[in-house]
Amino acid sequence: MDKINNQINKILEVFLIIVFALLVIDVLWQVFSRYFLNRSFSFTEEFARFALIWLSILGAVYLNAKREHLSMDFLYAKFSPKTKVKAAFLIEILIFLFALIVMVIGGSNLVYITLHLEQLSGTLRIPLGYVYAVFPFSGILIMFFSVYHVIKINKKQLPI
Amino acid sequence: MSIETISILILFIVFFGLLLLKVPVAYSIGIATTVSLLINIDNLPGITTIAQRMITGLDSFALLAIPFFVLAGEIMKRGGIANRLINFAKSLVASLPGGLAYVNVLAAMLFGAISGSAVAAASAIGSIMTDRMEKEGYPREFSASVNITSSTTGLLIPPSNVLIVYALASGGAASVAALFIAGYIPGILLGFGLISYIIFVAISRKFSKGERAPLSQIWSEFRKAFFSLLLLIVVVGGISAGILQLQEHRLLLFYMQLFWHYFTKKY
Repeated sequence: MDKINNQINKILEVFLIIVFALLVIDVLWQVFSRYFLNRSFSFTEEFARFALIWLSILGAVYLNAKREHLSMDFLYAKFSPKTKVKAAFLIEILIFLFALIVMVIGGSNLVYITLHLEQLSGTLRIPLGYVYAVFPFSGILIMFFSVYHVIKINKKQLPI
Repeated sequence: MSIETISILILFIVFFGLLLLKVPVAYSIGIATTVSLLINIDNLPGITTIAQRMITGLDSFALLAIPFFVLAGEIMKRGGIANRLINFAKSLVASLPGGLAYVNVLAAMLFGAISGSAVAAASAIGSIMTDRMEKEGYPREFSASVNITSSTTGLLIPPSNVLIVYALASGGAASVAALFIAGYIPGILLGFGLISYIIFVAISRKFSKGERAPLSQIWSEFRKAFFSLLLLIVVVGGISAGILQLQEHRLLLFYMQLFWHYFTKKY
């Protein structure tokens, strides 16, 4: 399980770097073409928006893997160590449920509907369902990380 | 009680309850929304709507400015812009009682005026200033609180991530550029408000003062910080003249920085 976890993290890191690099090049190209070639391409704007969706959702998954989501711990810090473990379990379970219900079930349904309606994007002409597919996929990854963290906390291998 | 009141109550209770339990803020918002929405409408349409709103909420060209802000802030931090701004601010105000505290506020204001992110300002300025302040005998709590409060000027002084989000949330009623221009005076007033409180604390607690910098030193620090300060003009000019869209503007800034870091390394 450790191995799978590290592999997923590595792939996510590389993928996020690539998406961000593409985003930077894309927006730069947009400025360049507008001011120096005197024509603008409509697909750059749309590509940037889709890249942003992928970047933010997969970035959130990556934060989940590192357990670095912003949270408030002024009450949590006053708990006894035993209660802290229980609260940590509860947090992971809540995240798991949210990922399962909203991201996987709701997201899959959304992808199914948009693919079924054959909704295409404005200029790139790709089915919007493919763009949205990152959402249920991220849900599955978040569920995996939650399970992994619960196991790790249970073995006392993660700081709580 | 009507159904609306109940769902609003549930929204708030669940949200703050989860927040106190150290559930991440993003998930607290998501779970509270899901629970209160599912009271009112059917399950499958409900969760599909939430998923759809989450994705289309991200589908916005204006939001694109924020990752570029963060990237630019990170590059400034690594590239030593923060250091040069601090040295310049230090040569100006370090000779007053509690001098390093003013340096902290001024540097945070200057940094906030380039990077637009309070978190970036707090970590960039704080990581350098906290040690220096401790070395000159300031209590650690004092320097931490000066650093944190002064970094909030970065939220007001444009460019600012928060103002972009506000403009989006208002649904186009407020323009980002107008909000940015409106942010200058409150941000500067807040900075001076902090400075005047620090004067009060510094005099009553008798903090040490540094040496007065000669004019020649101020000039040389200004020259070193010149390109960093020039970024300020690019930010203000670029946005208010409306030459560039916000996102592109960020990116231009980013390339200018890379360029300057390459050359100013030779100092």
